[in-house]
Amino acid sequence: MMPDWIITAILVAIKLGFVLALLLTGAAYLVLAERKLLGRMQLRYGPNRVGPFGLMQPLADAVKLLMKEDFIPAQGDKVLFFIAPGIAAVTALITFAVIPFGPPLRLFGREMPLVVCDLNIGLLYFLGLSSLAVYGIALGGWASNSKYALLGSIRALAQLISYELSMGLSIVPVVLMARSFSLTEIVNAQTHIPFALLNPPAFLVFLISVLAESKRTPFDIPEAENEIVAGFHTEYSGMRFGMFFVGEYINVIILSSMVTVLFLGGWHGPLLPGIVWFFGKVMLIAFLFIWTRGTLPRFRYDQLMHFGWKVLVPIALLNVVVTGAILLLLQG
Amino acid sequence: MDNLMQIAMQNVNYGSIMPSLVLCIFGMALLLINVFLPRGKTTPASWIALIGLVVTAVFAARGWGDPQFGFAGHVALDKFASFSNIIFLFSAGLTILMSDEYLQREGYPIGEYYPLILFATAGAMWMASGTDMMTIFLGLEVLSISLYILAGMFRGQLRSNEAGLKYFLLGAFSTGFLVYGIALIYGVSGTTNVADIGMYLKSHPAMLGNPMTIAGMLLISVGFLFKIGAAPFHMWAPDVYQGAPTPITAFMSAGPKAAALVAFVRILILGLDGLQGDWTSLLWVLAVLTMTVGNIIAINQTNIKRMLAYSSISHAGYALVGLVAANQIGVSGILFYMLAYTFMNLGAFAVLVLAGKKGEENLTLEGFAGFGFKRPFLGVAMSIFLISLMGIPTTAGFAGKFYIFAGAIKAGYIWLAVLGVLNSAVSLYYYLRVMVYMYFKEPAEDYGWVTLHAGAVISIIISVVGVFYLGLIPGKVMEMARMALFF
Amino acid sequence: MLDSYLPIIVLIGIAVGFAICTTIFSRLIGQKKPTEVKLAPYECGMPPVGSARERMSMKFYIIAMLFIVFDIEAVFLYPWAVMFKKLGLFGFVEMGVFIAILLVGYIYVWKKGALEWE
Repeated sequence: MMPDWIITAILVAIKLGFVLALLLTGAAYLVLAERKLLGRMQLRYGPNRVGPFGLMQPLADAVKLLMKEDFIPAQGDKVLFFIAPGIAAVTALITFAVIPFGPPLRLFGREMPLVVCDLNIGLLYFLGLSSLAVYGIALGGWASNSKYALLGSIRALAQLISYELSMGLSIVPVVLMARSFSLTEIVNAQTHIPFALLNPPAFLVFLISVLAESKRTPFDIPEAENEIVAGFHTEYSGMRFGMFFVGEYINVIILSSMVTVLFLGGWHGPLLPGIVWFFGKVMLIAFLFIWTRGTLPRFRYDQLMHFGWKVLVPIALLNVVVTGAILLLLQG
Repeated sequence: MDNLMQIAMQNVNYGSIMPSLVLCIFGMALLLINVFLPRGKTTPASWIALIGLVVTAVFAARGWGDPQFGFAGHVALDKFASFSNIIFLFSAGLTILMSDEYLQREGYPIGEYYPLILFATAGAMWMASGTDMMTIFLGLEVLSISLYILAGMFRGQLRSNEAGLKYFLLGAFSTGFLVYGIALIYGVSGTTNVADIGMYLKSHPAMLGNPMTIAGMLLISVGFLFKIGAAPFHMWAPDVYQGAPTPITAFMSAGPKAAALVAFVRILILGLDGLQGDWTSLLWVLAVLTMTVGNIIAINQTNIKRMLAYSSISHAGYALVGLVAANQIGVSGILFYMLAYTFMNLGAFAVLVLAGKKGEENLTLEGFAGFGFKRPFLGVAMSIFLISLMGIPTTAGFAGKFYIFAGAIKAGYIWLAVLGVLNSAVSLYYYLRVMVYMYFKEPAEDYGWVTLHAGAVISIIISVVGVFYLGLIPGKVMEMARMALFF
Repeated sequence: MLDSYLPIIVLIGIAVGFAICTTIFSRLIGQKKPTEVKLAPYECGMPPVGSARERMSMKFYIIAMLFIVFDIEAVFLYPWAVMFKKLGLFGFVEMGVFIAILLVGYIYVWKKGALEWE
């Protein structure tokens, strides 16, 4: 019989491989799905030439990005210019580690939780990394030595930190109800009824903040293309642009997963296996993201900041107090 | 009941922070009221701030009983803290009284001014009642940050900006020294509680000679000596005192200085008494240096605000003499002296507030020529405060210096006392020179109309009463100061 | 305890490796014909004017400062939330005071116009 740690190592390796493959292909096909859906919403076809129904399109995109010329703008900060897209991609890739994507599996006669690493502070890990992701954008915009890039990155910074606040505050009720930072335990606390139904204000605030955190319409002011070209990644080309791009779409998957885990009960659901429920919910939220992009116009910057600071923050703060009071009453 | 909750409930004793709690509540309420007041209307705010101080004074006076301990030994509202609280409240109250018209005249009716003074006072109270290095540090930060803003409050004036920025940069730097010293002492003793540090050093005499202990003591001293404004860490004082708004200068030279002194006293005497030999010899030199530097440079000043700044440095030197003595008379002398200094210095600054014109270009010796006859009331008041600052008998300044020097002599520091008295003699020169200008020089130009604003006049009257009360019948207050001692 | 972080460390290693490899790979196979105009910062086809590192509006700094204050508030809420049941009414009241103090700051900031953009 193999020693115990080898089995553990193999299991961890399998999980790692699965998660990485899932994230990268997921992000690639999310791009395709978005283009297709947007096309349909705008009465076009979307990409349909590469492979059947355009399914090979992500592969063609990747090859194209790899072959492109990769240059650093004159007077740009070379080191930071190199690091910035890396930060964006890496933070996005490693966040998924704490997200449980299915109920524990029985394999080789042992329990295997379907999460890369079930940290007891998983929630703080997620929050910390989402704060770190801001650096990629800030450094990228600064290093480019371009006006559009700097404008875009400063806007993005202010927006991200503003909505991080309401996001952080809207998670507090979840912790109050689940009494744990571990995402697995938060999911388990929603076995019977998801938190979205128990605490709709927190769910709504979180959903909106997440939409803003992903810098997508109606909150895509940092890369408003008809105003400041492409925002913080104006000067990026080739695979470095690709990394920002991949990072952004992985982020969408992760944020959708967080909505699922924190408010929609994670893998819990009737009849179907847990993992199907989980990815079904994630896809539903991701579809919601694309749908809003196809439907809503862009906020003006002042509206954006007003909405974050003057609407979401007070609601989230009030919600914390009210949730605490109700829980206290229920405890008696 | 759950264990955790029990611990939390038992150790919190709101009685131990009641005065500062009341101040903070008033400060926050005032902050909110301010934003709803019309722009430029600060008079109601000043009244509310004064009411807050009076209410706080009631609670502070109630602290004069059995000591109250709270927050797991982090805070103690003993008589020592209560006596200090009264000093802070007087300095804040007199400052607020003289401020309102001043802010209107200078064109900066800024509402945050009053809450910041209240917060600074609350910070000073935490320093006085802190029995843990962390509480003292917290108080120091609250006090300092409020003062940084207050010093730079006149945004349009270059000098005020300079004062704020200088004070902030140097203050932050000195706080760094203090924290580093606390960290070293913590490294030695394994606690930040002042009394526990003292106990540890008593039971482990071997640690006294440890370089880490000595370095920690030195760094803590640097932090506090900076806040007190003692030489050689006095460089910031003249510029900051001259540039800051005049009432704030008055406040800074009295309340916060007293706060730093009392916290310093508590740490040195309660926590580091094992090192007494080391810190007395250090402070001996610094006290002489501070007195001398302050007095000698003050001789050369023509701007009265700046002259008072240097004189404030020398007064810090006198107060340090009491700390060198480190006996009952000396330390209670410090408390007494800081109270006396609050009255005489704030009174003098209140006269400056009334005498100054917009921009305060006229607060020079030349500008004071003939002042005594043109403005008899202000002239007499100013003379009283200057006489008290010199330390002439029948005034508070004399009584204070008497106790401090008596303490030094009793502890065997005859030479220190002699040098202190000599320094007082030197200070006669520049204080008297102001009076000479006021009464024996012809005015260079017409003064124009100066209104005697009620607030500043009240603060002058209170100060005059205080100066004479402490000068003529010092016994009662001195007895209280002696009762206030914790050793 | 520490070994539960091992998968994350491995994942970080893989992610960083992925980022470095793709960048280097694309640099190797991508073409390279830099010209001066191509390297100039993009300004809609016009020659660049002035420095890009201009001073930014004060507003952004204020937002950054407010973020620090309120984010720390949120951070303080987490430990309370997780220990909510143990701290009970006492913790709730203390936290209410804490939130009230921050609300004072929030209202102040709002009325002072720090959240206004025009």
